Amino acid sequence: MTEVCVLHDLLQIVKEKRYMVLDAVQGVHPEPKQYLQFLALKKSLNNAANILLNGADRLRSAQTDVTRGRQNSDFHIELLRLRQNWRLKKVGNIILGDLSYRTAGSSFKHTGIFEVTKADEGQAGPNALSVPGNMSPMSPIQQNRPTSSLKVTVPAELEGSAYIFVCIRKDEENICNTRVQGLPFVARDGHWQQKLECAQNVLFCKELFSQLAREAVSLQPPIPHLVVGNQITSTIFPGIHLLIALCHSDTDGQKKKIGPGSISTGSGTSITGAVGGASGGTTIGLSKTNHDEVLEHSLHQLLHRTFLSSANQPLPQPVYGPVGVPKKRRIAGPEGVDRNQLLQATKSETILEQIIRQAQHNFLRLRTMYVIDQLALELKDPLIISHWNLFNSPTQSCVRINIVTQGYDSVLRTTLVIQVFEKTLKCICCDGKVMTLSFEPQELRNLLFCQISQHNVASVQCFARYMGWTVLTSENSLGVGSVEPLGNSSAVVLASPTGNKTLAVRSSPTKGVTVFVSSSPRNDFYPSAVVNDRRWENLGGAWHEVRLERMEGRNFLNKIELLMASLTAQA
Amino acid sequence: MSLTAKQMQGREALLKSYNKRLKDDVKSILDNFMEIVKLAQVDDETQVSRLTQIEEINFQMNVRASNMVRAAESLMKLVADVKQYLILNDFPSVNEAITQNSELFRTKSIEADKKLLALRDDMAADLFELEEDYYSSIYKDNK
Repeated sequence: MTEVCVLHDLLQIVKEKRYMVLDAVQGVHPEPKQYLQFLALKKSLNNAANILLNGADRLRSAQTDVTRGRQNSDFHIELLRLRQNWRLKKVGNIILGDLSYRTAGSSFKHTGIFEVTKADEGQAGPNALSVPGNMSPMSPIQQNRPTSSLKVTVPAELEGSAYIFVCIRKDEENICNTRVQGLPFVARDGHWQQKLECAQNVLFCKELFSQLAREAVSLQPPIPHLVVGNQITSTIFPGIHLLIALCHSDTDGQKKKIGPGSISTGSGTSITGAVGGASGGTTIGLSKTNHDEVLEHSLHQLLHRTFLSSANQPLPQPVYGPVGVPKKRRIAGPEGVDRNQLLQATKSETILEQIIRQAQHNFLRLRTMYVIDQLALELKDPLIISHWNLFNSPTQSCVRINIVTQGYDSVLRTTLVIQVFEKTLKCICCDGKVMTLSFEPQELRNLLFCQISQHNVASVQCFARYMGWTVLTSENSLGVGSVEPLGNSSAVVLASPTGNKTLAVRSSPTKGVTVFVSSSPRNDFYPSAVVNDRRWENLGGAWHEVRLERMEGRNFLNKIELLMASLTAQA
Repeated sequence: MSLTAKQMQGREALLKSYNKRLKDDVKSILDNFMEIVKLAQVDDETQVSRLTQIEEINFQMNVRASNMVRAAESLMKLVADVKQYLILNDFPSVNEAITQNSELFRTKSIEADKKLLALRDDMAADLFELEEDYYSSIYKDNK
């Protein structure tokens, strides 16, 4: 019954043709063109494969570039090397590095940040161009390096090269008007390591100079320090100045400043006299001859020391206590320090003060050396031999001076030691006398003359012993005779072995040595009414001066030897 | 302390993003490849016209292949980023390099000191005699 109902409904729907139309069944289906679809698919796959192959080629070529062409200059390897030597961090998408000495204890305001980027293919491969002299005279010369895939960009003010120029100069009228110029800078694109080192050196020099300038302004010495432009001038002795200048040669500005002929090749503390274009003042040409490398190095050392002391601060104790108190101050009990030591510990010298002291010592040492050498040149008899001590400090050195007569070294050797400090000389003579001299060279000269005079007399006295003569009297500070303008004259009186000849030697620091002879029995003894006994003729006769300059003999002691020998022979 | 915590958090997030990028890219390559393979089979029954279907498949394959290439390049970029991150944040190796450098420089400085000391002693011995000879010779007159 149900089936009949369904059939009825179906027939009704078909009949009404509202919902469904019956269509005749086609006998033959059209053949689908499968080969067309297949070909189209094949082509599509081919296209896709090509895209994939191109992509793979690109990746492969990028990879082979790294491994084959630029084996030594892969960006990441270079970055790793950079990271091993410099501080780097990533901010956003850029890599920033830090050149400053802040972690080493510096407090300079400059950030010293540089940027690291990947060098483009076109830009990669700058060769380091360097010209000798573009660095400080103490800096190593740059060398060419292979190409690099890494590019560093340093701030414009840190580009170029810089160094601190230090020299000691004699007084000049136009001291404020002089202008210090550095040597030209050529290299711009060097290897990143050199570039960063240069930039760091510039930063260091700038910090050093700003520190010195700050100290120069704040210190109040009797003669104030001058801070003009890029130079500091301070007076170390009357008429002698210490000049410290910051020479920064950047790539663009410096070339404009330097005119032809302003670079000096002169020596000593000379000023070239080339007239500077802009200021009209005298230009000091910087050459290696008048630049004091030792003092420059000392300045670097002093700033490093300051860094070290500020970086290694002991921890405060208790934790809320002040920072920077040394441990020594906390010690109590028997090992604790007293008030004076505490006061001493709080005093600290500035870098400028220390370098001035070193410069003073340097100058005084050179001057002492010069005085001794000049005197050794002037005087042939006796000889002055100086031995400079190797063990010295930046503010203290020592020289031993031997005064000997040539050929008679074993007879007598007068030794004195001179300690050179910053402003004074301390002389320790062989007899234990200690004298303090000022920085004036004449004082040292006078002292040496006195020593030579005493040496002459002492050597005659020693020599007499070998010859069998008797020393009658000897006096180092003779009270008779004309007054000496300098020191005291010394004298010795000797008698021959038989006693019939007497020799008197008087040595004066200024007038030299004079020798007198007297003999007995005196030739001019005539008995008179008052003195009629013959025995009085044995008294010494009148003194006759010996003209030493007309005697034979190489030197004074040799002449004395000959004289003694002849006088002994006469007897 | 809060700064360190923030830094740690940032680092974690960065590492997670690297991980995510890796997974996404690999998944993208795989999915696209699978889709391409699926598209490659010849389909009989379809309601759109044949030509349209062919064009669509062609276009889809191109896009998917390009996507695979992009994902591969993205993976390369990821490798570069991870390398960079490792280089910049590998503090133990940096410390090692610093220690090595300082050792090297210390050794060099000791060597230089030794050489200088030896040179100084030699020069002192020679200079002493030379000074003695020079000052007692006639050559000093010609200075």
